Amino acid sequence: MMNEVVRVKVKKTILVAMAVVVFVVILFPPMVLFLTSIKTELDALSFPPKWIFQPTLENYKHIFQFSPFMKYLLNSLMVASLNTGAVLILGSLAAYSLARFRFKGADNIAFWILSVRMMPPVAAIIPIYIIMRNLHLLDTPWSLVIIYLTFNLPFAVWLMRSFFREIPREIEESALVDGCSDFSAFRKIALPLAAPGLAATGILTFIFSWNEFLFALILTGSKAVTLPVGITGYMKETGINWGYMTAGGVLALIPVIVFTILVQKHLVKGLTMGAMK
Amino acid sequence: MELGRKVVLFFYLLKRKYVWLFFLAPAVGVLIGIVVFPLAFSLILSFYDWNIIRAGGWSWAGINNYSTILFRDSYFRSSFKVTLLYLTGTVSVQFGLGLVVALILHQITGKIIGFLRTALVLPITMTPVVVGIIWRLMYNPDLGMLNYFLTWFGFSPVNWTGMPGTALPSVMMADIWEWTPFVALILLAGLQALPQEPYEAALVDGASSWQTFCYITFPLLSPAMLVALLIRVMDSFKTFDLIFVLTQGGPGMSTEILNYYTYRYGFKFFHLGYASALSWVLLVVVTIISMILIRILQSRGIYAKRT
Repeated sequence: MMNEVVRVKVKKTILVAMAVVVFVVILFPPMVLFLTSIKTELDALSFPPKWIFQPTLENYKHIFQFSPFMKYLLNSLMVASLNTGAVLILGSLAAYSLARFRFKGADNIAFWILSVRMMPPVAAIIPIYIIMRNLHLLDTPWSLVIIYLTFNLPFAVWLMRSFFREIPREIEESALVDGCSDFSAFRKIALPLAAPGLAATGILTFIFSWNEFLFALILTGSKAVTLPVGITGYMKETGINWGYMTAGGVLALIPVIVFTILVQKHLVKGLTMGAMK
Repeated sequence: MELGRKVVLFFYLLKRKYVWLFFLAPAVGVLIGIVVFPLAFSLILSFYDWNIIRAGGWSWAGINNYSTILFRDSYFRSSFKVTLLYLTGTVSVQFGLGLVVALILHQITGKIIGFLRTALVLPITMTPVVVGIIWRLMYNPDLGMLNYFLTWFGFSPVNWTGMPGTALPSVMMADIWEWTPFVALILLAGLQALPQEPYEAALVDGASSWQTFCYITFPLLSPAMLVALLIRVMDSFKTFDLIFVLTQGGPGMSTEILNYYTYRYGFKFFHLGYASALSWVLLVVVTIISMILIRILQSRGIYAKRT
């Protein structure tokens, strides 16, 4: 009996120890990023790495004062919010249609939309570059607001479809019987009921836009540069300014981390586009 | 019935029949404009020669671009090999480690689990460029943490991303760090949703924990695994940010996956016709693989038609 208790205790201790190892492996690299960002250049370049040092905010001040970091930040914010707005409007309408109405070809359309999400962006980037150039949209936030729909809209349609499916159909049906139009049944009943799910969809969409790199690298040059592209600009032929790069990286991560914690409950469902809860 | 009412009824039925279209059309229209139209454009372009910085416009090339890619371009072959190595290497390790992590976390109870789970999800949503920066810092041959630990244990330092032999494994290791949590999170959710009855029956029958795992947990977990596999494989083809920040495809072509090779042809060499053909080859490969995976998933009732 006593043995059994000991055995369970040992097993539990081993499990927790393994979990702590996982925890350290995950958190150590970002921790190094943060520590480097609050070191002076001299401390950052010392080897072996210094664990005890005088922290400084110089790098953070510097990127705002001597590089257009503020511009990158505002561009990213603008692109991600406008894109999220467009995704929520277009996506919720389409998702509602696929979740509620019965029509021929609904599944085929849904799978075509899913296949767009699977497409590697590189496959479409050359024509998109040429089209944006001809529309004079290169190096404007608008090109990114539009083009981020290619991956965010399919994602949102699938995820929101699964949220709409969770609402009992009867509520809207009784409203329709009472003479409510389809659109107001959608706007006044389905949307408010699905609101938490839609909010989670919006937050994930925002994160994906905020993080995007390839399209931003090719479609922007100077005026519309977003954070990920701006940060890689601290990587020069002559060498890397680790202080700026890490400080920029930390600032880019802050909203992402806050949002991720906010949507944690919906993360599994979100990342699998509604396939799992 | 009087005529007026007939007309009203007719329009009512018409509206009922096509109302779905009004909801769906804006999104589908947008996707046609920004995906189908560009892809059709690049399909046409892929049969031409066009260098955007050289004088002269498009010149007809027939299937030359494709035949060069498939039969004569040794760089394409090398990057195809790198892509397969990268894909199979990262995804298989992510599944192995992810399963282990999920099984560990599944057995931990109490307050600590919330904290662990939050830490686990962070790499998944982190800006990939910043993940690249983090690992470039870790791999730095002169001041990086990895060489610090190596020398601390008495090994000689390694030029991680600077040598053809270690560059690809280094990028893959960063990818594994970034995406193992994703696999673990999905498998953990799968584990938590498993029914209890088979386990009770196994306990009654006196099955060992290894038998329980092989004959109950693993088969019941396979839908979750397939979902994670589909998403990981598809996203793996898209890896760009990590490679851009860590190695830029080098040294030589040792880390140049197809995705990156296509980008370089288009935007470093400006051979837009050839790059378009490359992107169509990539698209066909990805489409075939995703179709196979989605079919398998549907046969298991995931992403299934109509609920």
